[in-house]
Amino acid sequence: MIDFTLIFRILVFPGFTFILLFTLFCDWVERKIEARIQNRVGPMVAGPGGILQPLADFIKLLTKEDIEPRDAKKTIFKFAPLLAFTIMVFAFCFIPVDGTSVFSTTGFSGDLIIILAFATVANFLLFLAGWASCNPYGTIGSARVLTQFLGYDIPLFLIALTPAFIAGSLQIATIASDQAGKFLPFILMAPWAFVLFVITMQAELEKDPFDVPHSESELVGGLETEFTGAKLAFLHLTRDVQVVFGSALVVELFLGGPYGPVIFGPSWIWYTLWFVLKVLAVVLISEYITTVVARFRIDQVLSGNWRILLPAALLSLMLTVALVTWVYPLLV
Amino acid sequence: MSNNKIDILSIVASKLGSKVEIQPGHLSTGTIIAQNGLHRDVLKAMIDADEKTGITAITGLDLGATIGVYYHVHTSNAFVTIKAEVPKENPKIQTIVDLHPGAVFHELEVADLLGVVFEGHPTPGHFVLSENWPIGVYPLRKDVKPQEVKLVPTPASEEIKLPENERLVKIIIGPQHPALLEPEKFAVTVDGEIVTKVEPRIGYVHRGIEKATESRTYLQDVYLVERICGICNSIHAAGFVECVEKIAKTEVPERARYLRVIALELNRLHSHLLTLGHAGLEIGYETLFQYFWRDREPIMDLIELTSGNRVYSSLMTVGGVRRDIKETDIPKIKSTLKTLRGQLPFYRQIYQNEPSIKLRMVNVGVLKREDALKLSVVGPVARGSGVDIDVRKDEPYEAYGEIPFKEIVYKEGDTWARMNVRMDEVEESINIIEYAVDHLPSGPFRINTARSVPAGEAVNRVEAPRGELFYYVRSNGTDMPDRVKVRTPTFANIPSFLKTAIGESIADVPANFVSLDPCFSCTDR
Repeated sequence: MIDFTLIFRILVFPGFTFILLFTLFCDWVERKIEARIQNRVGPMVAGPGGILQPLADFIKLLTKEDIEPRDAKKTIFKFAPLLAFTIMVFAFCFIPVDGTSVFSTTGFSGDLIIILAFATVANFLLFLAGWASCNPYGTIGSARVLTQFLGYDIPLFLIALTPAFIAGSLQIATIASDQAGKFLPFILMAPWAFVLFVITMQAELEKDPFDVPHSESELVGGLETEFTGAKLAFLHLTRDVQVVFGSALVVELFLGGPYGPVIFGPSWIWYTLWFVLKVLAVVLISEYITTVVARFRIDQVLSGNWRILLPAALLSLMLTVALVTWVYPLLV
Repeated sequence: MSNNKIDILSIVASKLGSKVEIQPGHLSTGTIIAQNGLHRDVLKAMIDADEKTGITAITGLDLGATIGVYYHVHTSNAFVTIKAEVPKENPKIQTIVDLHPGAVFHELEVADLLGVVFEGHPTPGHFVLSENWPIGVYPLRKDVKPQEVKLVPTPASEEIKLPENERLVKIIIGPQHPALLEPEKFAVTVDGEIVTKVEPRIGYVHRGIEKATESRTYLQDVYLVERICGICNSIHAAGFVECVEKIAKTEVPERARYLRVIALELNRLHSHLLTLGHAGLEIGYETLFQYFWRDREPIMDLIELTSGNRVYSSLMTVGGVRRDIKETDIPKIKSTLKTLRGQLPFYRQIYQNEPSIKLRMVNVGVLKREDALKLSVVGPVARGSGVDIDVRKDEPYEAYGEIPFKEIVYKEGDTWARMNVRMDEVEESINIIEYAVDHLPSGPFRINTARSVPAGEAVNRVEAPRGELFYYVRSNGTDMPDRVKVRTPTFANIPSFLKTAIGESIADVPANFVSLDPCFSCTDR
């Protein structure tokens, strides 16, 4: 027997279609916030308030000519952007949006590790995409992507362990629901970890001040330099999904996930609403950081990672372990 | 200032005596005619006497049987021209680069355009002209007709010389590159991330404006020289018309002198705001860029209000200005400037203290005071390195002598200091415009002048937003000039970039470079 509910959940809500539309919506919100902070108007024309602009950009890129450089490693060049997008969407499927993940379950023990690994693989595919284009700017840009995520993945994992320690579980749904039931949201219980996590996420997502892989005054288009048409569209889409994925992770780990008060009617509507609102709040914070600082230099980014963020992440972990062992039991 | 008393002409006279001919008062402070290689001795005497001696420009000009090589030298309180001549058949002259490294590009330019061979020059070769320019044709010589020049085809691919050491990598920045808004090429050799050598190549937008002025009337030339630079267009026109007025001994009406100051300072204001914003873009600070360019827009409106044009103001003319400021426009000017002044504390706070700006700018591209003097840098680049040169103070032109304002000098010499010099100069410019508007004399704003200009020559220096701009005009008594020489500030400042980039990270190149406020259209002319 075919499970139509599962197909619907995978293809429509909260699966593929929802993720795609939500990503495009978040892209619009980001652009609008950035524009307003910078005293511009942002997208205006396509749809009410320009809300359809990201979709229009995506479709436009799909219709453009697809050029492949002669020297490019064709297979990787072709498939890496698509594969990166697929993996990001797949990783997103494990995030509980309406109370459960796409598969109508609350996940399995250790899915936090799995989705962080997926995010790393997607980043690595982006690196491969740039590397395979055999363009000097693309190569340097990808090398910077690699250097940066190798550095920042370690603190990201370490800080992501903080909520896991407090909740005593490596399952995202448990971590999220514990914040609603057993404890307070972890942003209140471990605010230092929240701050560190947002900063690390900023570096993982290559946003200002950590956007050295895209530094256009040195690297032209970075790893995207040789990409055109549909491949470029998917590279952009992957980036946007990454941003939403990162924000969703912050929401799940620190802001209590999709859980919030259910006032009337079915709970999944309210959970989706809370999820969307919380993700938008994180996007706002991240965009605010992006707009008010200048870009660091690559060596400053790296020394900031190894000298500041990594020790801070270790300290945060030690502090959490201490608190979980001796202090929180007294409070709860 | 203690060395204000140096009388450079009498020092030269006492050292070289009767070997050189000194004409005090001709071409600013004076002219020294030094033939047969004596120009080196004169320059050496001047450098020994005054540490602020520097080469402003070298003018090459076709004098018929000979080629004149005029060295325009500035000292702390004087501006002297050393004249030398070489025969046309064998145009050889000793280089002065070993005495003063700042002359390196000036000599290359004269060599390219007039065929003068500078013996002992460290890096001879094409500098302004393209690679396919025929050998033996020197465009600024009078017998060369531009329409008859036949370009020689170049080989399909340029031969790239690889560095001998395998650790070194050569990165070509330009002619097309997102960090450069205009086409110019810099071949940067890097060892890992560290820059070890920078080789510049200019001339990608060389339009031959100096040659073109010779076949147009003085009035047409005013508009032509304005086209040298889109940003500092008024100042180019002012530099040229002042030269012509000096030759023709025209007295400009008092009101026109103030109106010119207003136009020039509006130019400086919008140019500085543009650079301050553009620097933000180069270091990935887009918000700063958007803010500065938003506040620059009202200044553009003021330029349109006062001159009728938004970009190319076409305000200057020989004998005055073409348009008066209406009494009813003055409140608008004042209120716009007041709004801008209100924004300045915020911007200054950002440029002085914002941590990510300081990370990218402090101690980046440090130019020491000694080097700044040796390389004859000008404008905010020199003032950021503690060298107090500003033509508006040193040799006041127009009404600048009557208007009080501060000369901004920072001692640090890094990118941060250069940007902060501009930041503080924005406020001084506002002060100057407000003072000029308040003290605007009455009377005519232009006088009519004759079409032809008597034979003669004149030099003129004005302070453009990017630094000192130099004009030399020679007239032969007709209505067209015989020779117009333009030395733009960026041309003088590029050597400092070659110096400061070395030993720093390649990632610092854009920030360092934008702090020169480079303008390549000016550089190429």
